[in-house]
Amino acid sequence: MEAPPVTMMPVTGGTINMMEYLLQGSVLDHSLESLIHRLRGLCDNMEPETFLDHEMVFLLKGQQASPFVLRARRSMDRAGTPWHLRYLGQPEMGDKNRHALVRNCVDIATSENLTDFLMEMGFRMDHEFVAKGHLFRKGIMKVMVYKIFRILVPGNTDSIEALSLSYLVELSIVAPAGQDMVSDDMRNFAEQLKPLVHLEKIDPKRLM
Amino acid sequence: MQREEKQLEASLDALLSQVADLKNSLGSFIYKLENEYDRLTWPSVLDSFALLSGQLNTLNKVLKHEKTPLFRNQVIIPLVLSPDRDEDLMRQTEGRVPVFSHEVVPDHLRTKPDPEVEEQEKQLTTDAARIGADAAQKQIQSLNKMCSNLLEKISKEERESESGGLRQNKQTFNPTDTNALVAAVAFGKGLSNWRPSGSSGPGQPGQPGAGTILAGASGLQQVQMTGAPGQQQSMLSGVQMGQAGQPGKMPSGIKTNIKSASMHPYQR
Repeated sequence: MEAPPVTMMPVTGGTINMMEYLLQGSVLDHSLESLIHRLRGLCDNMEPETFLDHEMVFLLKGQQASPFVLRARRSMDRAGTPWHLRYLGQPEMGDKNRHALVRNCVDIATSENLTDFLMEMGFRMDHEFVAKGHLFRKGIMKVMVYKIFRILVPGNTDSIEALSLSYLVELSIVAPAGQDMVSDDMRNFAEQLKPLVHLEKIDPKRLM
Repeated sequence: MQREEKQLEASLDALLSQVADLKNSLGSFIYKLENEYDRLTWPSVLDSFALLSGQLNTLNKVLKHEKTPLFRNQVIIPLVLSPDRDEDLMRQTEGRVPVFSHEVVPDHLRTKPDPEVEEQEKQLTTDAARIGADAAQKQIQSLNKMCSNLLEKISKEERESESGGLRQNKQTFNPTDTNALVAAVAFGKGLSNWRPSGSSGPGQPGQPGAGTILAGASGLQQVQMTGAPGQQQSMLSGVQMGQAGQPGKMPSGIKTNIKSASMHPYQR
């Protein structure tokens, strides 16, 4: 039930296919301050933005072996913001020269009854977590530094526990399909964060 | 011809924006030094330097880019000099150059160094020529020897001191953690997974994760489910999660459909 790769889809009008270009790394807790400092210097000058999000991942198991995955995310510290529904396709394998992980990406803002709707459609929640951290922007690049918390009692976002002693660092760009030069910009930016953080393209399938 | 002109213009634009960025960061750094010097910390100064070096780097890259024509081949000649204020020029230079006149042009369009600097350079070259080739070689060799001695001393010092502890601190990221975090975000490895499983004991209440996680030593067990029929391989390796022997928690609070013997989505 995966969406076919972008190159095969006919151009029928409608929305543009957006791709997410992604580089990931991590930083230990004690080096977080230096990283934040450096990011504040490198990124666009804005008030440092923190976020506290609760993300739930839903699966729809069809007849095929691979289920359809949707991610629903809500903000826990900003009341009134819409829920964010996201579909992420399989990473496009291909160009080894491409420096970032590229995958199809569809982002939708929804109202608060998203979980009920998904359950009615037949999705079941696979796992959930809480993400707490900082957000930076540089042009179209977005840098997120956040800690992942495991939810101990399902549905209760107060009893959470940190998953590890590190913060996950993600550098991402959402751009229309075909703009591969943005991965060069991402690589240049990632160079500036070495040796604090090693941002690289990590294939999730390798970690299964 | 036209293509070259376009290239020239494009590269000039790029150069202009880079230089503007550099100017801005230099300006903010100077401001920081002058106004906040009592509160300034070394990391903050380092960050400003890092920013400047990054920008100089990009500037260099822009200049070295293959699409950039050789600026050396271009010549700038002032066509009209006037002592009147030029509003256009004011606007373009942000108010720094009001008049394109005889005093401004030699400074701004200069390609040779200052006369004093030229004098000093000439003197240095005559001094260097005066010593003679052999003596110069000997001096170069002794300088190199002194530098290498110094380097050795520094590296020895670093090794002998608590460099062990220091290097530990220098590690700012842990690759295992990176993999664990990426796996958690990508497909929920290490988070409480509710794997619907057919034959897991129905009386298995959803234990809060804390209990099982702190049953610690079993932490890194990968619970192999191949023995029991219809059960799926648990994916809880790697991160601290240790289940006390039972796969697939069945918390009663969640409205999950119990599909018996359903395919684990990530089963190999």
